[in-house]
Amino acid sequence: MPANRPITPSTLSIKDLLWQILWNKDKCTLCGSCTAVCPVHALELGVFRKRVVETSLDLNPASTNVFKIYHGIRQKTDPQHACVGCGMCTMVCPNDAIIPARSDESDKLIYHQNQGGQPRRRGGRRNVVGGILDQIKFIRISMLTDPALDAGRHEFELRTLLGRILSPEDNLKYLKENGWIPPVREIYPLVIGGMSFGALSPTMWEGLQMGVAYLNEEMKMPVRMCTGEGGCPPRLLRSRFLQYVILQIASGYFGWDEILHALPDMKADPCAVEIKYGQGAKPGDGGLLMWYKVNKLIAAIRGVPAGVSLPSPPTHQTKYSIEEAVAKMTQSMYMAWGFRVPVYPKISASSTSLAVLNNLTRNNYAAGLAIDGEDGGTGAAYNVSMNAMGHPIASNVRDCYLNLVKLGKQNEIPLFAGGGVGKTGNLASNAAALIMLGASGVQTGKYIMQAAAGCLGSESDRCNICNVGLCPKGITSQDPRLYRRLNSEDVAQRIVDVFLSFDTELKKIVAPLGRSTSLPIGMSDALGINDYHAAERLKIQYVV
Amino acid sequence: MDSKTGYRIDGREDGVRIESRILEEKIQAAIEQGERFVEINAFGQHGIGGRLWKAGDESVHVKITGQAGQRAGSLGFPNTVVEIMGPGSDDVGWLNAGATIVVHGNAGNGLANAMAQGKIYVAGNIGARGMTMTKSNPRFAPPEIWVLGSVGDYFGEFMAGGIAVVCGMNPQTPRNILGYRPLVGMVGGRVYFRGPHKGYSETDAKQVPISDDDWRWFSENLKEYLTRIHREDVLSSLLKREDWQLLTARSPSEKAGVAKRSMASFRAEVWNKELGSGGLIGDLTNLDRSPISLITTGELRRFVPVWENGKYKAPCEGTCPTGIPVHERWRLVREGRIDEAVDLALEYTPFPATICGYLCPNPCMQACTRQILSMMPIDVTKLGKASINAGTPEFPEQSGKKIAVIGGGPAGLSIAWQLRRNGHEAVIYDMEPSIGGKITSVIPESRIPKEVLTAELARISSVIPHIHLKQKLGKHETERLKGDYDFLVVAAGAQKPRILPVPGKERMIPAMDFLARAKNNSIQPGRKVVIIGAGNVGCDVATEAGRLGAESITLIDVQEPASFGKEREEAEAYGAVFKWPCFTKEVTEKGVLLTTGEMLEADTVVISIGDVPDTDFLPESVETDRGFVKVDAFYRTSDSRIFAIGDIVRPGLLTDAIGAGRKAAETINQLLEGREPIAENRMIIDTDRISLEYFDPRITGFDDVDQCGAQCSSCGNCRDCGICISICPKAAISRKDLGNGAYEYIVDDSRCIGCGFCAGACPCGIWFLTENEPMG
Repeated sequence: MPANRPITPSTLSIKDLLWQILWNKDKCTLCGSCTAVCPVHALELGVFRKRVVETSLDLNPASTNVFKIYHGIRQKTDPQHACVGCGMCTMVCPNDAIIPARSDESDKLIYHQNQGGQPRRRGGRRNVVGGILDQIKFIRISMLTDPALDAGRHEFELRTLLGRILSPEDNLKYLKENGWIPPVREIYPLVIGGMSFGALSPTMWEGLQMGVAYLNEEMKMPVRMCTGEGGCPPRLLRSRFLQYVILQIASGYFGWDEILHALPDMKADPCAVEIKYGQGAKPGDGGLLMWYKVNKLIAAIRGVPAGVSLPSPPTHQTKYSIEEAVAKMTQSMYMAWGFRVPVYPKISASSTSLAVLNNLTRNNYAAGLAIDGEDGGTGAAYNVSMNAMGHPIASNVRDCYLNLVKLGKQNEIPLFAGGGVGKTGNLASNAAALIMLGASGVQTGKYIMQAAAGCLGSESDRCNICNVGLCPKGITSQDPRLYRRLNSEDVAQRIVDVFLSFDTELKKIVAPLGRSTSLPIGMSDALGINDYHAAERLKIQYVV
Repeated sequence: MDSKTGYRIDGREDGVRIESRILEEKIQAAIEQGERFVEINAFGQHGIGGRLWKAGDESVHVKITGQAGQRAGSLGFPNTVVEIMGPGSDDVGWLNAGATIVVHGNAGNGLANAMAQGKIYVAGNIGARGMTMTKSNPRFAPPEIWVLGSVGDYFGEFMAGGIAVVCGMNPQTPRNILGYRPLVGMVGGRVYFRGPHKGYSETDAKQVPISDDDWRWFSENLKEYLTRIHREDVLSSLLKREDWQLLTARSPSEKAGVAKRSMASFRAEVWNKELGSGGLIGDLTNLDRSPISLITTGELRRFVPVWENGKYKAPCEGTCPTGIPVHERWRLVREGRIDEAVDLALEYTPFPATICGYLCPNPCMQACTRQILSMMPIDVTKLGKASINAGTPEFPEQSGKKIAVIGGGPAGLSIAWQLRRNGHEAVIYDMEPSIGGKITSVIPESRIPKEVLTAELARISSVIPHIHLKQKLGKHETERLKGDYDFLVVAAGAQKPRILPVPGKERMIPAMDFLARAKNNSIQPGRKVVIIGAGNVGCDVATEAGRLGAESITLIDVQEPASFGKEREEAEAYGAVFKWPCFTKEVTEKGVLLTTGEMLEADTVVISIGDVPDTDFLPESVETDRGFVKVDAFYRTSDSRIFAIGDIVRPGLLTDAIGAGRKAAETINQLLEGREPIAENRMIIDTDRISLEYFDPRITGFDDVDQCGAQCSSCGNCRDCGICISICPKAAISRKDLGNGAYEYIVDDSRCIGCGFCAGACPCGIWFLTENEPMG
């Protein structure tokens, strides 16, 4: 595109873009790596004309004008090829000659990403820095008032329960009257949240599962991972590793016929079934796996033809009320495994969460409630849904917990909180805060993507192209040319590292509370915050 | 010492237990007074026997009878021996800095906690957290504890030095003499033990063989221990080397390497074993999923370059209605084949000089990519004018197929020329006395030198022998021609002038009439001329009127005049005035009366608002639309055997008519050969692909055809410059000679990384970086 050309309202200059490529001609060796690796083709080789006038103050010999050519790296400015700031060019440059820099002012690109009347869609996160979880401090340090514990030395049982937990009396009564009590799992309190096979690449997904299996079998940590909606590979369904898996069913019901077909061959029951009603990142919006990500492999696992887009509607179509949704889905899913597997719904955090929760308290089967806050990530969503829709997790889970307390059921229906846990890297403290606000456990996705696979996303709108299958790290791509950049084994190892260090960190938080044999669920007297209104709202201590 | 009776201190006074502080003061006072053997009848007082430094180097013996309290012997000094005659309470020897402590019974929790020097000999078992946080100071001998029975839970936590010996004799916990979770956090020291255990922290401690030196040390010191606790009787049963094991701390480097199972091993031996070969999805795909690097070659490239030479039309070729590949002519010029460059045009048009050189507004130049950067377009008229010397090509044998062409104007001559090039016979019928249509009859000589036109018409006539002039055809004759020939082509032009329906319309002279009469000087327009319709034809009228002596020439139009280029320039050179918007109300003998009431005086009024075809002679089978003949994309009329081209289809440039003739001829040829006509569907290249930076932006005009050729960016068609070979960072591109001057540039897939540098650097936009074939 020549510099001097007719412009349109959407003609942008490099200055207008969010990410600007800084290229150093002196250092560049023109090796082609940056243009070859750029996921969005924001870079190209440019031909530049350089003019030199050799002056003479005489006509003989007269001044001369010479044009010289040089080649270099040029940034494209059309919205489709706008740099996403992933920095793969920097990573691959042998001479450190190139780096994307974030614009020093608000970008203009945002006003032009609706070409053809199609609003921006993307993957990633909300692109909002900070959050209340990071502000919460743990102010109750026992030292001498309780047996002070040492995270490194003392044994801890960082375990939580997933399932309808009845009192011993009720259990006996149930058993006597019904011949059945609800199944309850003892699991690790940090659960890998639902990310589907399809949204994630095969190498990523296998790496996660392998890491989870390792943690269970080598480290004896009962870590669980939710499949997300997209089915489950047949081999996993027929392996003992299934016990480490929470199967998700969502409004698209993808892959569930394959799961049913595997029932007769299952060696182990899954940990649980999660019924997804909503996702924190895009509440009220459905999922859409674009056709170009639906290759033969994904198609086989989801039980669909290849090359078609796979929409999951925002709602489950045949349910018209909370009562019906909860009763019908829960019953059905319980029946699939002979009432041996806990079934619980997952909803987006919302001002209506309490209504769902109250309904669950009246349903004898509901095994818990997972609530996903607005800071959750996603593989694909409308920008507006990600940015503007949703409810923060902290106050939502707090309200739900306190409501359970009022009903005397706080030990009966476990709450699992997700959405922004570890958003800024503080996984353990965020998790501990949510647990002390009332969650029995937490779900995390984004942190896992970043820590276990090197996702480049950040709250600065960096990368965020999970939705188009171009993930430069191979995390969310179905293209072998990209996902082979990711080694399952390395991912698995990182999962192990993440959980082991999380484990130590969580212990470092709960040990000073004098707790080692049970999680401090709802132990909100340990929490303080330097924000009066937040303290009031969360019913925790205001500390300055 | 037992035999002697030393200085006695009672822990009670008057039957009441004295405070630990008081007892301590008493002990310290006794030592200060020179007592060196003190017997204390304790009642649970704290910390008895420590801190007795006031005795200096003299040894002090403290014997505790009764109930020793917590921390007996704590903060002990090397000169001190503390002997607890019964069981010890918690923290015996806490922070001991050298005292020897003997416990003749069991000891409680925390024995030797933080002990740095000294020895503790226990005749029984000890409680939890013994030997924890012990030190070893290089300035002193390491601390030792000797336990005859077993130790309690969490033994040796954070043990940082010293030697512990656990004999396992009559242990309190016979099945696990080391207790639960021993040695967590151990970083130094040694633990000798004898008897069963339930494991220890293997991340911190390791078992090592007992060396001969170790055993020598052990044997000697065991005797001393047993002597101290009066159990020499068990010496022989304890001196069985094979019963003993030795644990030491792992070094930091050993801890770092503590073998958890490697993930590779887990994958191979656990994961794949349970799931099957290929792991999680090994049953669903056999695609290789092994890791690759960021920069890849071959089929792993995300993008691949394609040498798209000639895939797209250059803008000049694409916008030329005749379809002449102008860039190709410049290539021939660059290769020094100027004659071929000139001759090439005759493959496309019989009028390369007349039209390309003079009469054409040259859409090719208007579209020239160089215009994007305001650079001078390559001047095709230079080649056009040279075409007068183009050699008449060889024509093939006649096929025997005959096509009648009605109209000997540019369209008719073009199709006849092309049909003949394909070996078919074209027979032309024209009403006029000469061929050439409007070129001959109405276009002023100022715009086309007569000798150029004459020469080209002669060239045509030499090729098309059957030209029937002065043939006015009616419906009947047309029908007959259709029957006599394989195809009939109607190229009769637009002959009927459009006239305004205003009073005095009979006073207007149609432009075509005026121009035809002007051309042979048979009209005198007078001093004042008003031309209604200020298009290019109107401009030609103005120019001719000027040439014939008109002094005041006014062109009026209802809108901004559409005239442009040479026609307009020449008219303006004669002082022609353009007025708009003007609406004619009436034409009177005075001139043109406008609706505004203004009278434009005129001796001659010419109407030049276009012409419409005369279609009366066409058979009923030929449909028309608003006066023009309807055709499809192949110039076929609604009668499949009749084609129509030129102004009878829609008004256009001369080059439009020539192009229509060429395309219709192609269709007819295809049909005659029994093929379905195929539309040419090559697109014009995206000019963003062209790199004009290689060319000099300061050229203000071209000296000759060589310069034109040199400065042509040859859009979409390889210039064979080899820049791609040089720019490729991986030396993946090479030029392959195909013989006869043909060549191609090829990519070595095993070297190419898909960087697209070739596409970026190519001046002509030949290389295109496209997505690789989908995988998976």
